[in-house]
Amino acid sequence: MTTEPIPRPVPEGRPVSALPVETRSVTARPAEARPAAAPRPSTPPESTEAPSTPDGASVQTRTRTRRRRRASMIAPVGRRIGLRTRLTLTYGLGAAVLAAVMSVTTFVLTRDNLLDQRETASVTRAVGNATRIANQLPTGADPGTVETLITGLPSPEGAQPVLRYEDQWYATNTIDFGEQSVPDDLKEVVSAGRAARVRSTYLDQPYLVVGVPIPALGAQYYEVISLEDLQRTLDGLAISLLGASALTTVAGGLVGFWAARRVFAPLLDVGRAAEAMAGGRLDTRLPTGDDPDLDLIAKPFNEMAQALEDRIERDARFASEVSHELRSPLMTLAASVEVLENSSEDMTERARTALLLLSADVERLQQLVEDLLEISRFDVGAITLHLEDVVVSEMVIQAVSVLGRRVPVRYDPDAGDLVVRVDKRRFGRVIANLLDNAERYAGGATAVVVERADGKVHVVVEDRGNGVPEDERDIIFDRFSRGREGGNRAADSGVGLGLALVDEHVRLHGGRVWVEDRADGEAGARFVVELPVVEPTETGGDEDRGGDA
Amino acid sequence: MGTRILTVEDDERIRTAVKLALEDEGWVVEEADTGEEALQSFARNPADVVLIDIMLPGIDGFDVCRSIRRASDVPIVMVTARADTHDVVAGLEAGADDYLTKPFAPKELSARIRALLRRARSADPTVTHLRFGDLEIVPDEGLVLLAGEEVHLTKTEFRLLVELASSPGRVFSREVLLERVWGYGYFGDGRLVDVHVRRLRMKIEADPANPRHVITVRGLGYKLQQ
Repeated sequence: MTTEPIPRPVPEGRPVSALPVETRSVTARPAEARPAAAPRPSTPPESTEAPSTPDGASVQTRTRTRRRRRASMIAPVGRRIGLRTRLTLTYGLGAAVLAAVMSVTTFVLTRDNLLDQRETASVTRAVGNATRIANQLPTGADPGTVETLITGLPSPEGAQPVLRYEDQWYATNTIDFGEQSVPDDLKEVVSAGRAARVRSTYLDQPYLVVGVPIPALGAQYYEVISLEDLQRTLDGLAISLLGASALTTVAGGLVGFWAARRVFAPLLDVGRAAEAMAGGRLDTRLPTGDDPDLDLIAKPFNEMAQALEDRIERDARFASEVSHELRSPLMTLAASVEVLENSSEDMTERARTALLLLSADVERLQQLVEDLLEISRFDVGAITLHLEDVVVSEMVIQAVSVLGRRVPVRYDPDAGDLVVRVDKRRFGRVIANLLDNAERYAGGATAVVVERADGKVHVVVEDRGNGVPEDERDIIFDRFSRGREGGNRAADSGVGLGLALVDEHVRLHGGRVWVEDRADGEAGARFVVELPVVEPTETGGDEDRGGDA
Repeated sequence: MGTRILTVEDDERIRTAVKLALEDEGWVVEEADTGEEALQSFARNPADVVLIDIMLPGIDGFDVCRSIRRASDVPIVMVTARADTHDVVAGLEAGADDYLTKPFAPKELSARIRALLRRARSADPTVTHLRFGDLEIVPDEGLVLLAGEEVHLTKTEFRLLVELASSPGRVFSREVLLERVWGYGYFGDGRLVDVHVRRLRMKIEADPANPRHVITVRGLGYKLQQ
């Protein structure tokens, strides 16, 4: 074995210190599969608060109070992210995390595996080459022989042999892969007589450098192996994994969105059902039996709905039954009072006064029972209208004259012959109640006016009282409410159901009623009943009237 | 002997109070607290007007009404609980001439009874003998003949027919008929007219579904075809 060192000038390339040496480091950046920050769902503050109607005088009281209540319930929740959005985000995030973990694991395992293979192969070959050098290089060989030997070493493409022999550096490509391509710390280790390998970055490319000492010659054999192909493979893998992760994240989000919608659909049904119930359709129920999980919501909801319906029906029936029970004693009272009145001449003054009180209150009681019965009929939906087509002005004149009131009835010439479809008896009560109301609280109606109004007809009861304050215009149509004006009357004989009945009756006829100021600017109120007009040509009023409304 | 009124009512207090009120009008009142009793009483000694409460223990007011109607054309007033139920129409179909809803003022009852009695006793003297095809009306004798055969009409039905016959071909609105036959105003119950017209047709029309004498004028009222 010859160990003839052939000194060789080693080109002073870049300073060695500039070559970063990393022992077992990963040059490729790990696949960063962090999901793009999911866009925050734009949740503008929900505008659930119904637009307030500052002067919605004609809006029905009940709908107003309901709206108000609803707004106060929902408003504080408005800022939070919706459940559906949260579910979508959760699914998306979960998918992202899962994809990231999978990707990183796949990448690291693949990379380590590939590197291991490459290193094992490289080390085996380097050792083989070192052995061959040790065997073939004669002691004190001249540089030419060394160079020939090195060039003749079997090394695959991308592997550069470097030999240090007798303090001279030999290489096949001394310009790029001479001494400078071997990291210093590796030189130290190998010079100390131990074989080693190191991964380094040289000329901005990743390399594996394997050093094998040849103690017999006092030489060190190095092989600089390019890892560029491996790097390219790993880069491709990283990009693929990143793309797959992104897709998985999006898919997760979509699944979340879909699942949230599926989960939410029955809840929306519940919402709609509740809304329907609030709107008065008390027999609304949710379908059950399709899904045992949904039954957990549907069954209690239906039970609640049933309980509510029963309760409301019971209340309504109670009022109806009480009124019915009151009829018989009232009948006796009314008849007996009449008998007494027939012989009131024989009574003392005191007895006659008492009889007057008695008969007035019996009458009032009768009216109250009558009103209560009527209103409870509305509540249980047991109203049957006997609709007829009537000329509105004639009906109003008749209604006023039947009451024996001296109230003038005025109507525009073009409004006089308008035809409305009404239950005459009930509409008579509407006029009567409005006139009663004017009598009690405004010193009597000054006129009843029939006006034409854009396909509708207005029947207006005018008075010269103090008018109705703006904030009371809705509530005076509530049951047993009389407004401030009414409450002051000590000798009031009304029962507070009159206007409520007017409201119910008019609504049943497809119209509306409201109160407003007098148009002429004078003090007083106008109670306006608006009814739809029917075409006089196709008048009904046929043989079989009295169907349900 | 004065006018006799039979009141059928199971509530003793109401019955007594109504009896007192009606007696103040100068009428003789007979009481019955069940349908059976009413029928027996009527069979023994027919009253001039019968007042029947629909809600009765045992046979109900409708059956009492139908039973009496089969035997007599006496004016019958039904007392119902509610004006807008089918009770009213059912009562009228059963043969009642008029109805009242509880609680009613006895004054109202007296007014109805007086109207019925007037109807029962008077006929329009201006009309003597009328003929419409096979239908003949002899108001003087309170007689209606269909193809020569006598037709039994109640007082109210008769009065309704004579009213329509007073101006043949003229359309009478429900309101006018209510006022002339029953003494009601504008707000009277039009069903009284409708049901009585229906009953009248059953008796004087060959085919009540396609009437040839008493014709409905849609949206306006009824008329007697010339």
